[in-house]
Amino acid sequence: MTMTIKARNLKRHFGSTRALDGIDLDIPSGRIVGLIGPNGAGKTTALKAILGLSSYEGELSVLGYDPASQRDRLMEQVCFIADVAVLPRWARVGQIIDLTERLHPRFSRARCMHFLENSKVRPEARIRALSKGMVVQLHLALVMAIDARLLVLDEPTLGLDILFRKQFYSNLLNEYFDEQRTILITTHQVEEVEHILTDLIFIRDGKLVLNSSMEAVHERYVEVMVRPDLADQARALGPLHERLLFGRHIFLFDSADMQQIKALGETHKPSVADLFVAMMGPESAPATETA
Amino acid sequence: MNNRSLTTLATLVRRELWESPIAFKWAPLGIGALIVLFVTVSLIIGGRVDAELAFTSDVLRQLAEQPMEQRRLLVSGFLFSFATIFFQIMLLIILFYLSGSLFDDRKDRSILFWKSLPVSDGMTVISKLASACLLVPGMFLLAIVLTHILLLLIASGYGLLAGVNPFTTFWLPASLPRLWSVMLLGLVVQALWLMPIYAWLLFCSSWAPRLPILIAIAIPAGLAIAQHAWTLISSFTLPGFNLGLIMLKRLGSSVLPMSANIEFGGNLQTIEFSEDLFLNYGTVFSYLTRPEMWIGLVIAAALLFGAIWFRRRATDG
Repeated sequence: MTMTIKARNLKRHFGSTRALDGIDLDIPSGRIVGLIGPNGAGKTTALKAILGLSSYEGELSVLGYDPASQRDRLMEQVCFIADVAVLPRWARVGQIIDLTERLHPRFSRARCMHFLENSKVRPEARIRALSKGMVVQLHLALVMAIDARLLVLDEPTLGLDILFRKQFYSNLLNEYFDEQRTILITTHQVEEVEHILTDLIFIRDGKLVLNSSMEAVHERYVEVMVRPDLADQARALGPLHERLLFGRHIFLFDSADMQQIKALGETHKPSVADLFVAMMGPESAPATETA
Repeated sequence: MNNRSLTTLATLVRRELWESPIAFKWAPLGIGALIVLFVTVSLIIGGRVDAELAFTSDVLRQLAEQPMEQRRLLVSGFLFSFATIFFQIMLLIILFYLSGSLFDDRKDRSILFWKSLPVSDGMTVISKLASACLLVPGMFLLAIVLTHILLLLIASGYGLLAGVNPFTTFWLPASLPRLWSVMLLGLVVQALWLMPIYAWLLFCSSWAPRLPILIAIAIPAGLAIAQHAWTLISSFTLPGFNLGLIMLKRLGSSVLPMSANIEFGGNLQTIEFSEDLFLNYGTVFSYLTRPEMWIGLVIAAALLFGAIWFRRRATDG
């Protein structure tokens, strides 16, 4: 099976800072992958390398193309929305649709107009006169009207209200995603995407800290709520992370013995946000090493 | 170049027109409108002084009586002199356009949108160059043609009042097909002649972190000054060969006849006012045989490759 994205020892450094420090990736088609990491972890650098927007060292192949030298052909199959509105502000909506139609062989005007039907975006409006939400709506309509195999979203909903964010992801899932496509998302609003993700990648300091399917994440990690008197007993089992909530200790364990864990208290699946804090939080760094 | 590349190029050039309608469409039309307005106002004010248009009619009748050669020189020379106003402003617009063309989208981050389209970086750079060499001159030439027709219509009105035949007095001597085709050819050859300057601006626009036009000026100016200083200090002479002067001279001595000629080192010949100045294909073609033309094109090609190289690595910010 050919991989949508395949990277081996992907590196990029700015001066002495290693933005990407030897990353290996295999993303097959039909997945929705969340690339999560703190600011400056290398997310955007990784996405830019994948999109052919920056140079890199190591091996990288996206849909069988080398992004650095074959960006123009790659872009027939790949779409992306960046963290800020990047549509040219001077253009009118109709002009942008015309340009995309003429320049993109896989773009369907009918589909684009369908997605814009219920919005307030009018063809004669100038982009600079649209609200931020409307620009994202337009960009998403353009992108979803392209029959692409990989969609890259870099903080797509930054600065949008909650109604719009919900709508955004529901459109993406219901009207766009299928087995042939792959979606790669980076976001800080993990709670919003965690139930649509099929795969989860954590990145920190240019290295992958976690790279696993959501099922595997749910099997592997468990959180248990422990009474204070049992806390020492829980600590002895080597938890990944410990936090306090309403006087209870909550421990997060990686691949622990469920028998022992269940004896300590009530267990549940950790949310991606909890997992993120446990693995990436400043105080958790030593714990990660001992685990 | 296959069909799809041509469609892509045409679309990208059209994009440039959409992005800069003021510079590419309204500026030439505005210059034409100003010229027509200026002529009309002068004629109206003149008409106030000139009772019953006696003087004006006299001049027109005298013109009608001139031999054809003389009429052609006067009428087409008159029309051409208005066209030169367009050409000077056009050159300024092209220089500013090119210096911003690969910079503005990096600054406002819309490069991320343009790079999300399946268009190669080479094609992007070529589309900017094509806009400067074909689209802008084309738009200006259209505006010139419109202005000429309007001026001739106004002249015809006065001619009818003066009782002279407008066709033989104005339209025929204007030799419009020849005048316009020399201009068209001149614009194409001028684009080739200025190609190294255009390519230099694109090159700077492609990598400059800010103020590309200042960088594009500062580098050759700095080199020229350094070279001057060096030769002056080392041998107490001025250099015979200086990059800054070569660039300035090329810009100044544009192909189109009657452009302002900046000459360094004297020998300004006295120019005889004749048809050769503006109705001659030969003077335009002679540029194609100059070695400087071909050296310039080679330099332009190298700079364009540089511009594409930087464009390939360019992202936002």
